[in-house]
Amino acid sequence: MARTRHDPVSTTIQRDERPGAAEDPSGPLLKSISPKRRDQRTPSQAVGAFFRRALLSENFILYLTIIFFVVASIFFTTLSAPRNITNQLLNMWPLLAIAIGQTFVLILGGIDLSQGATMAITSTIGGLVMSTALDASTYDKSPLWGTLISESGGILGQDPNGWAVAVVVMLLLGLLIGWLNGTMITRFNLAPFMVTLVSSTIFAAFALWLTQSRNVANLPEPFLLLGNGDIISIFLGPKLNPDIARRDVLPLITYPALISLGLAVLAHFLLTRTSFGRQMYSVGTNRRASTISGVPSQRVIIMVYMFSGFCAAVASILYSARLGIGQPSLGSGNILLDVIGAAVIGGTSLFGGKGTVKGTLFGVAFFVLLLNILNAMQLSPFIIDAVKGGIILIAALLDITRTRILNRGA
Amino acid sequence: MFKNLRKLSVGAGAAALLTISGAAGVAAQSDITICFGFQDLETEFWVAGHRAITETLRGQGIEVLEYNANEDPNRQLEQIRECIAQGVDGIIIIPQDGDSANTIVAEAQSNDVPIAVFNRPPNDRSAGLIAVADNVSATEQAVEFIAQKALRQYEITGEPITPLILVGALQDTNAIGRRDGFFNVINRYNERYPGLFNAPIEVATEWDAATALANLEAAITANPNVDFIFTSSDFLFPTIRSVLEPRGMWQPAGTPGHVLLAGLDGDATACMLIDQGYVDATGVQDLYLEAEMTMTSLLDAIEAGETAPNEVLLDPGFALTAGNIYFDRSDMWGCVLYDDGFLDQ
Repeated sequence: MARTRHDPVSTTIQRDERPGAAEDPSGPLLKSISPKRRDQRTPSQAVGAFFRRALLSENFILYLTIIFFVVASIFFTTLSAPRNITNQLLNMWPLLAIAIGQTFVLILGGIDLSQGATMAITSTIGGLVMSTALDASTYDKSPLWGTLISESGGILGQDPNGWAVAVVVMLLLGLLIGWLNGTMITRFNLAPFMVTLVSSTIFAAFALWLTQSRNVANLPEPFLLLGNGDIISIFLGPKLNPDIARRDVLPLITYPALISLGLAVLAHFLLTRTSFGRQMYSVGTNRRASTISGVPSQRVIIMVYMFSGFCAAVASILYSARLGIGQPSLGSGNILLDVIGAAVIGGTSLFGGKGTVKGTLFGVAFFVLLLNILNAMQLSPFIIDAVKGGIILIAALLDITRTRILNRGA
Repeated sequence: MFKNLRKLSVGAGAAALLTISGAAGVAAQSDITICFGFQDLETEFWVAGHRAITETLRGQGIEVLEYNANEDPNRQLEQIRECIAQGVDGIIIIPQDGDSANTIVAEAQSNDVPIAVFNRPPNDRSAGLIAVADNVSATEQAVEFIAQKALRQYEITGEPITPLILVGALQDTNAIGRRDGFFNVINRYNERYPGLFNAPIEVATEWDAATALANLEAAITANPNVDFIFTSSDFLFPTIRSVLEPRGMWQPAGTPGHVLLAGLDGDATACMLIDQGYVDATGVQDLYLEAEMTMTSLLDAIEAGETAPNEVLLDPGFALTAGNIYFDRSDMWGCVLYDDGFLDQ
């Protein structure tokens, strides 16, 4: 197997023939064509080679997103309006946070179906403990009433810095759920699909039970800033009136952007600059061979699921703060379709061993743009989901095609 | 406009919409764009409400941007922000719950876009145009009717009545109001006639038929002597039937084993079942009145240049019962649909 950037242990690992096995996406095919042969190609061969190169490029989805945006903006002028662009960026950040966690799990060859439920339980518990006031008639049937919560809110509700502690609680809870998932998968050798589906069901039900399916309101103002706060806002255009209308002020740098991008940088560093990241690719490519060659597979798997839970908790913080409520039903819709779709579109393989944070960032951007365009097209709301599903299917097929091309070229 | 209305498959429904269009009172305004954000249209009520609003607005030459949030309040917030970015003149929403509605109304108003909330009100009713049924009152009227019947049954048999309520998702203020209305009547009768009702059984539905089916099956298996059921929404009558029928408890009024049944919404299925005698009463939300109030108030605000109009537009509701269905059926939107063959489509 060719030695790759992400795979220092590959000299001891036999090549994995499964589709999606780790490869440098731009390497073998290009290297296999000498400059002399390139000159001898016919125009059709050159075009074919160009598309193959584009398809294999790590930035393929970025190019596609830019082309998509430029073409669509011609037909739908509102797409390129500054307000729309800043809006779409705001929509990206929570989705990016959760998709990064899913990317890690997919690189392992696993899947985390409990991310939605993790968001629900962290949103609910975080909301309950930091709430500044709770209505007795609404929450008196909660099992936490009289202990962790009361009419004066949660136990951290009256503390000015209680919201920060609550955020830590939410993150720890995400880590704990990830640890449970990872431990069940490694210790009992259970399928990730089954373990995370079960934990999803349990934690989603637990969140509903804790609040008796009620939302948690009255969250502290500093916490709400995490989902909505602008650090730098801009106004474009001539100032005709002394007061600038709120709708004309564009959020440029926001707290959600900093949080998600910070998480992305951390994840990128972990994947590309640490032995842990290299071990992840190795385990995702061939777990048994990795274990034989000394990679602590079990520990890697547990840590990756913990990171996935952590990312879900970060997304939960952003969503809860943005909407201003702790929500036991958070993540219960088809958000996982969006998350897995964005990761796959970004080049993460469903078969493990392949994926990057950069790709996921581009995948999320593409996905958000796609939704924006579908909405602008005024398609029936019922068709939009079908189109989204179709795009994800195409992305999965592209993944297989890319892998086949790479395998042929290797 | 008449061409648009012909698209509606229900003639009488169309007639009702004509009334709404007239009442909206704004001449053709092709330069107005309204954003309409809703949740999944899973029940007849929402389908009829969606039609009433979109067809009427488009009939007036108003552009309507539709957004379905698939029961995800976060997505609805994103969609409303998208509408604001597109520079719409006004927004109508059917929110997922009262809490998220507060945030969405605040978002629209802080961006100087007038917003109206259709039928599912925010918890804080001080902001936005809020068209809402008086759920407590409509429920009380419907439950009162079957409580009277229960009292007569109790006086004859001396056996206490076991009531059961199918509760909606309690993040929704409509669900809370309906539950409150139910308990108001039960408690009032128990004070007046001690021993009439056993402790009510509460069955959670989360506004989901599958959840309701599973929980109702369990509740009826554990309490086979239930003889009084109130469902917080009429769309669950088929679910109730599928649980009661195999147990021989699905009987029309006047026959042994009849379970007293009441609901709320006033949909076509409820109308049919009242006709057939299986259902005794339903609290009716006047859907066409609510749609009319929503559109009229929003268009008036746009015309007046108001960016943050605040008003509660109350639909008092009424009860349609086996006793008054012959007189009041034309006022119930579900009967209008039913009489026009809606359930045969």
